[in-house]
Amino acid sequence: MSTFSSMHSPSYSHSFICSSSINEKKNQRFVFSSFPRFSVPANAKVFLQCQANSHQNAVLMQDGAVATKVSPVEKETPIEKLKSELLSVTSSNEWDEKAGFDINENESTVSITVVGASGDLAKKKIFPALFALYYEGCLPKHFTVYGYARSKMTDAELRNMVSKTLTCRIDKRENCGEKMEEFLKRCFYHSGQYDSEENFAQLDKKLKEHEGGKVSNRLFYLSIPPNIFIDAVKCASSSASSGNGWTRVIVEKPFGRDSDSSAALTKALKQYLTEDQIFRIDHYLGKELVENLSVLRFSNLIFEPLWSRQYIRNVQLIFSEDFGTEGRGGYFDHYGIIRDIMQNHLLQILALFAMETPVSLDAEDIRNEKVKVLRSMRPLQLEDVVIGQYKSHSKGGVTYPAYTDDKTVPKDSLTPTFAAAALFIDNARWDGVPFLMKAGKALHNKRAEIRVQFRHVPGNLYNRNFGTDLDQATNELVIRVQPDEAIYLKINNKVPGLGMRLDCSNLNLHYAARYSKEIPDAYERLLLDAIEGERRLFIRSDELDAAWSLFTPVLAELEEQKIMPEYYPYGSRGPVGAHYLAARYNVRWGDLGLDQSA
Amino acid sequence: MDGSPLAKGINPEEQEEFFIDILDKEEALSTLSITVVGASGDLAKKKIFPALFALYYEDCLPKNFIVFGYARTKLTDEELRNIISTTLTCRIDKRENCKDKMEQFLKRCFYHSGEYNSEENFAELDSKLKKKEAGKLSNRLFYLSIPPNIFVDVVRCASMMASSANGWTRVIVEKPFGRDSESSAELTRCLKKYLTEDQIFRIDHYLGKELVENLSVLRFSNLIFEPLWSRNYIRNVQFIFSEDFGTEGRGGYFDNYGIIRDIMQNHLLQILALFAMETPVSLDAEDIRNEKVKVLRSMKPLELEDVIIGQYKGHNKGGRAYPGYTDDSTVPKNSITPTFAAAALFINNARWDGVPFLMKAGKALHRKRAEIRVQFRHVPGNLYKRNFGTDLDKATNELVLRVQPDEAIYLKINNKVPGLGMRLDRSDLNLLYRARYPTEIPDAYERLLLDAIAGERRLFIRSDELDAAWSLFTPLLKELEAKKISPELYPYGSRGPVGAHYLAAKYNVRWGDVGGEDD
Repeated sequence: MSTFSSMHSPSYSHSFICSSSINEKKNQRFVFSSFPRFSVPANAKVFLQCQANSHQNAVLMQDGAVATKVSPVEKETPIEKLKSELLSVTSSNEWDEKAGFDINENESTVSITVVGASGDLAKKKIFPALFALYYEGCLPKHFTVYGYARSKMTDAELRNMVSKTLTCRIDKRENCGEKMEEFLKRCFYHSGQYDSEENFAQLDKKLKEHEGGKVSNRLFYLSIPPNIFIDAVKCASSSASSGNGWTRVIVEKPFGRDSDSSAALTKALKQYLTEDQIFRIDHYLGKELVENLSVLRFSNLIFEPLWSRQYIRNVQLIFSEDFGTEGRGGYFDHYGIIRDIMQNHLLQILALFAMETPVSLDAEDIRNEKVKVLRSMRPLQLEDVVIGQYKSHSKGGVTYPAYTDDKTVPKDSLTPTFAAAALFIDNARWDGVPFLMKAGKALHNKRAEIRVQFRHVPGNLYNRNFGTDLDQATNELVIRVQPDEAIYLKINNKVPGLGMRLDCSNLNLHYAARYSKEIPDAYERLLLDAIEGERRLFIRSDELDAAWSLFTPVLAELEEQKIMPEYYPYGSRGPVGAHYLAARYNVRWGDLGLDQSA
Repeated sequence: MDGSPLAKGINPEEQEEFFIDILDKEEALSTLSITVVGASGDLAKKKIFPALFALYYEDCLPKNFIVFGYARTKLTDEELRNIISTTLTCRIDKRENCKDKMEQFLKRCFYHSGEYNSEENFAELDSKLKKKEAGKLSNRLFYLSIPPNIFVDVVRCASMMASSANGWTRVIVEKPFGRDSESSAELTRCLKKYLTEDQIFRIDHYLGKELVENLSVLRFSNLIFEPLWSRNYIRNVQFIFSEDFGTEGRGGYFDNYGIIRDIMQNHLLQILALFAMETPVSLDAEDIRNEKVKVLRSMKPLELEDVIIGQYKGHNKGGRAYPGYTDDSTVPKNSITPTFAAAALFINNARWDGVPFLMKAGKALHRKRAEIRVQFRHVPGNLYKRNFGTDLDKATNELVLRVQPDEAIYLKINNKVPGLGMRLDRSDLNLLYRARYPTEIPDAYERLLLDAIAGERRLFIRSDELDAAWSLFTPLLKELEAKKISPELYPYGSRGPVGAHYLAAKYNVRWGDVGGEDD
């Protein structure tokens, strides 16, 4: 504590926070300038560069000082092990291996096989994301992209198809044409059945040719309907796994329809894959502001003290789309909005929002904390859910169709296209705080946001300036995930002038104004993470189980009792039932206020 | 609320009724006379008359009011009106009827010429006022815009000869309130011979600034700030005042006082007290002032080693020569009066023990600025530590209230730079007043005059506050003068003497306003 002698007050040393911060300062010897991710041209080091910038603890120590490896826990899960194998740069004496790593990098290849290459997601998201990564110099030196699907196509035809959807980031369009050609040269196609081991064996052979005897790492992206997941996994793993590198499989939702089917799917996957090979993608976790949620909480002093039932009155997770199923309701009708949005995207954000501080930013540490949140939650009760379905509506001469007008949807479908729910986390931090979710299609706007409403000021000196509705006068933190990313904090402020009138103003951070760069698509981040073996943003099996067990009972009940959804007009603000649900828990939806700034 | 005459009827509802009464019935029967003593002076012309006009334009003055100018110069009413009309301006947001309103206002302005120490002259004023009041209930406000050496004379004459017989009489006095504890106490003693405490309105126009007013609103009407408002979370607080010009030929008054008396001991210290005070029982003037006095009394008197002083010297830039302080013809050539000072203060109470409160004030600096900066502590056990480089001080949250120019509130937060990597930067959660509130912000004098008329004392300085403020600075000021400590010279238009950085570094603080980037 000698550092305190220079401080002014002896009582300083009683302050935990102070002492820790001062020690931090004194011990901080290593320099972590913020590795500019793309500052190095695409050369052999780029792969490493990218790794260093992700959350991995395998840190590039700049001056060889002792690393504060942030995960002191000795749990050699297979994943940890794998990671240290992959990224064996964890302490200073291993720093010299950097050179070796570089050579390794030259000697290894990554093959990315998009299974279901002719599908919509592949065309719209996966290939463009891969190209963007290539353009940014984030892909390893040796990589190939394979499309796999049943349609007969030549490599050239695939390239033609892919090239139509590729775009360049608006902020650097130089060489885009050139880059695109180089990228397309690395794209190939293999036609085959999803359940044919033979066809996958042919793929394997082609991959081997491209790999040319180098260390082979293989990533399969399954962009196919759930009923053929297992077949594809079986064939890929038994006939096209890498012989000497890693093999990873990215799967997209749906991960089952309920606890049982999800467990069955996981069990089947695990027949062919180990946990650390499975990358369950939830693309909401790749969104910029969801990523930023942890940064806000844990790298700012001012938020964490407020992050509990003591100060937070309720939390709202809101998702809305301004269009319906538009002729593509076949898949959706089988699942409904609760499975499609709530049980995965919104629940994942909730878990990130509410988790305790993890030991480190490592994937396992974060996912451990998220599972704890999910396991502390009560399964959702029927009375805490409101469901809705959009009906047709004519406005300005245009008639918008009802959900059941969609040809691909049964006429008597009860599938909810809107749902609102109140959830509770029964732990010390959140006991009694309502977490409200709301998700819907065909609403009046497109929006995804997190709203944190704070409590009233106890003994507020300015109470009489607020009128009768004190709820209007609380602070609110809004994290707008899309569109038009922004963070703002509503504060009460004096309206300038001679009187004492208060109003609610925003402390704003508008991304478009602050950051000129285009924000990368969620898929780019997630693909890059999968290539790097960073599992932070992917969903672990036990997480998935816990998530399903919260929603399965209510989903079963809704279906058994054939509960009618409340109808709401296409393009409206959704069924009023959502307000009554909120009112029951003394909550007012933050997104439907009268004032513009909502 | 101890039953003193000050507190009469100031519980909220009663206060409202009080106003309604005024508006409805009494207003027709009462008059307000505002006498600006020293009407030919600079402050009167630039601030007081324009503020009175703005209040009139905004309908904030009572129905029956008159304005009297009083000074030694011989002027007619018409001449006074001429002087005034050249400085009146209308708020930019509503210029309608401005001319009409101005004429109506000027019709209510009058002038009386007299000596400041002549009871006879004030008696003449009294009879003029009586004539205008025409037997109605008479309330009288005297605004003393005169040099300090004649304060007491005027107060004596005004109170003896021109006090209201049946309404209230209030006196607004401007700084300087003495040069140190003794002279200030002497002044207060003299004032109190003729006035009671509740008649004295000591103005500190910084307290009338919009963002200073808003400080209490921010703290007490938002849940999110108060939990952070203590040594647990706040690392240091900075009060910064800078002007981008020097004395410019008007250093006579200034040289006798210096920047510490002129800015720190009053404006910055007042803001500090408002910032650091405990939650008052209510927003009533006495409750707030009680809390402010408690802060001042919990502070250690300033030590010489916690102060650095500076004085600007001549500087050539872009072919132009800027004068040094001592080049001012009204300043003695060997003056060691500080035009810049920085100081570290501490509040020894449970909330603030050990937190440095830094002040910095200077003339002839590189820009004009008044702001409050609150630097928060490091995040304990920060998970993102390795994203911040070695200087964790750069990575803390900071709340900035920019008082002038271009009022704004912003909170610096760490944020992820959008993109595939994990780079953090500091971004601002912003509230820029210009963008949010299109109306022009009223001048501090308008608010303070209005408050004095309404008897609202919240923004005026009570005698015991003033004593406490002086007792913090007096020992230091005496030591500086007794030891003839030379100021560190800094070039006109610069960022001030580097000594300020060393003072901050001593307490592990980095000035927030001279960071590398945009601040």
